[in-house]
Amino acid sequence: MKSISLYVDKESFIHDFDPITKLLYILFALFLPLILLSFTVSFISVGVSIVLLMAAGVIRKTIPVFSFVFLVLITVVIIQGLFRPENETILFQIGPLAMYKEGLLYALTITLRVMNIVSAFLILVLTTKPSDLVETLVRKGMSPRIGYVIVSVFQIIPEMMASMSTITDAQRARGMETEGKLSVRMKAFLPLLGPVILGALINTKERALALEVRGFNSHVPKTYLYEEKTHALSKWVQAILLLLLVGAGVWRIFG
Amino acid sequence: MKKQSMWSLRLSTAALVLIPVAVGVNYIGKLLAQLLKLPLWLDSIGTVLAAMLGGPVVGALAGAINNIIYGFTDPISFVYAITSVAIGLVVGILFFKGYISSWGKAIVAGLIIGLVATVVSTPLNIGFWGGQTGNVWGDALFAYILANTDSTWLASLLDELVVDVPDKLLVVLISFGIFKGLPRNVVQLYKNNEKIETLD
Repeated sequence: MKSISLYVDKESFIHDFDPITKLLYILFALFLPLILLSFTVSFISVGVSIVLLMAAGVIRKTIPVFSFVFLVLITVVIIQGLFRPENETILFQIGPLAMYKEGLLYALTITLRVMNIVSAFLILVLTTKPSDLVETLVRKGMSPRIGYVIVSVFQIIPEMMASMSTITDAQRARGMETEGKLSVRMKAFLPLLGPVILGALINTKERALALEVRGFNSHVPKTYLYEEKTHALSKWVQAILLLLLVGAGVWRIFG
Repeated sequence: MKKQSMWSLRLSTAALVLIPVAVGVNYIGKLLAQLLKLPLWLDSIGTVLAAMLGGPVVGALAGAINNIIYGFTDPISFVYAITSVAIGLVVGILFFKGYISSWGKAIVAGLIIGLVATVVSTPLNIGFWGGQTGNVWGDALFAYILANTDSTWLASLLDELVVDVPDKLLVVLISFGIFKGLPRNVVQLYKNNEKIETLD
């Protein structure tokens, strides 16, 4: 069964860092450009994230995500460049359409912001196994029940996709149309979705029983299957990230 | 039988296992909409259904977890978790107050939920995309309004409105239809009543 997470199983020093450090890095990459409000800082931040992604050996996996994001960003550049209300200075003209400086600068801000967020998140997503992330969060005090819920999604979705393809085949074998006009395709939606949902809901009963029998609701402190993995440098990295963030804040207020 | 408040945070095991199923249903709905090349997202059927079955708390949790999981395939989704939580909450409240009990009422509720989703999403769209939604039709309208008025907010609000309201309306109607078709023993499973806390 195909996994839905983007995690790439590899060996690299980025993979070795604990999820908390990576979460802190996201906060850092998110807030530093917001505090300092400078293009240079945003550029550097995006650059650092991309270098880290390359160091982790997962840069190829980022291409589908970035290409989807770029598709939207191109429309942002076009629309803001042409129509932004603050537009005044014409930068260049293509036929009857004029591209304005203000709109393009704003589009650049948006592009950098989105790139920055996406690349920082991708470091976490591509180099951390979802179950490791959840386990770390549970150690830090998240409810283990919620932890179970999150981990089990990764198990249930492939199951449901398998049952959906079975049902699609069965309905097609009975002669149901799934291609053609919009009205035909709309009509196909419910007979395909309904049985999957019903089956999944009925399964929850068994799952709930199985969990309760295994002491899901017991209040005894839970133990962990794996030992906690920490990198020797992670405390230092966390401290440096926090110091830089606080330093930037202080500089912004008093500088 | 004393009815427990819909805000109870003590979730039964059945209500908790409902959440991953809800996320799965969202995922399948979205996939199916893409497979059938429908022009809508239809990616919140699970959240709505979970809110109907388990109440606003389960709905909101399902919404939040849904977007956290989507975030693992598309990082921007993390941001829209707020919208999903709002959808789960509003559906749960409306349903448990009895405002989604017939097809007519479901239409009104669908419109309300579409409006709520629009109002919550618009500031997020402006903050992250300069006001666009990424949907072709909505963005064309966005460009048109931006060219003719000077309000990014109005353009962005309408951009989201034309996409979200039909989508959420259809999602609520589909979910209501599925809910009505569910066997009673399945519906009863998630009711958080003291009396039926034990399963079978």
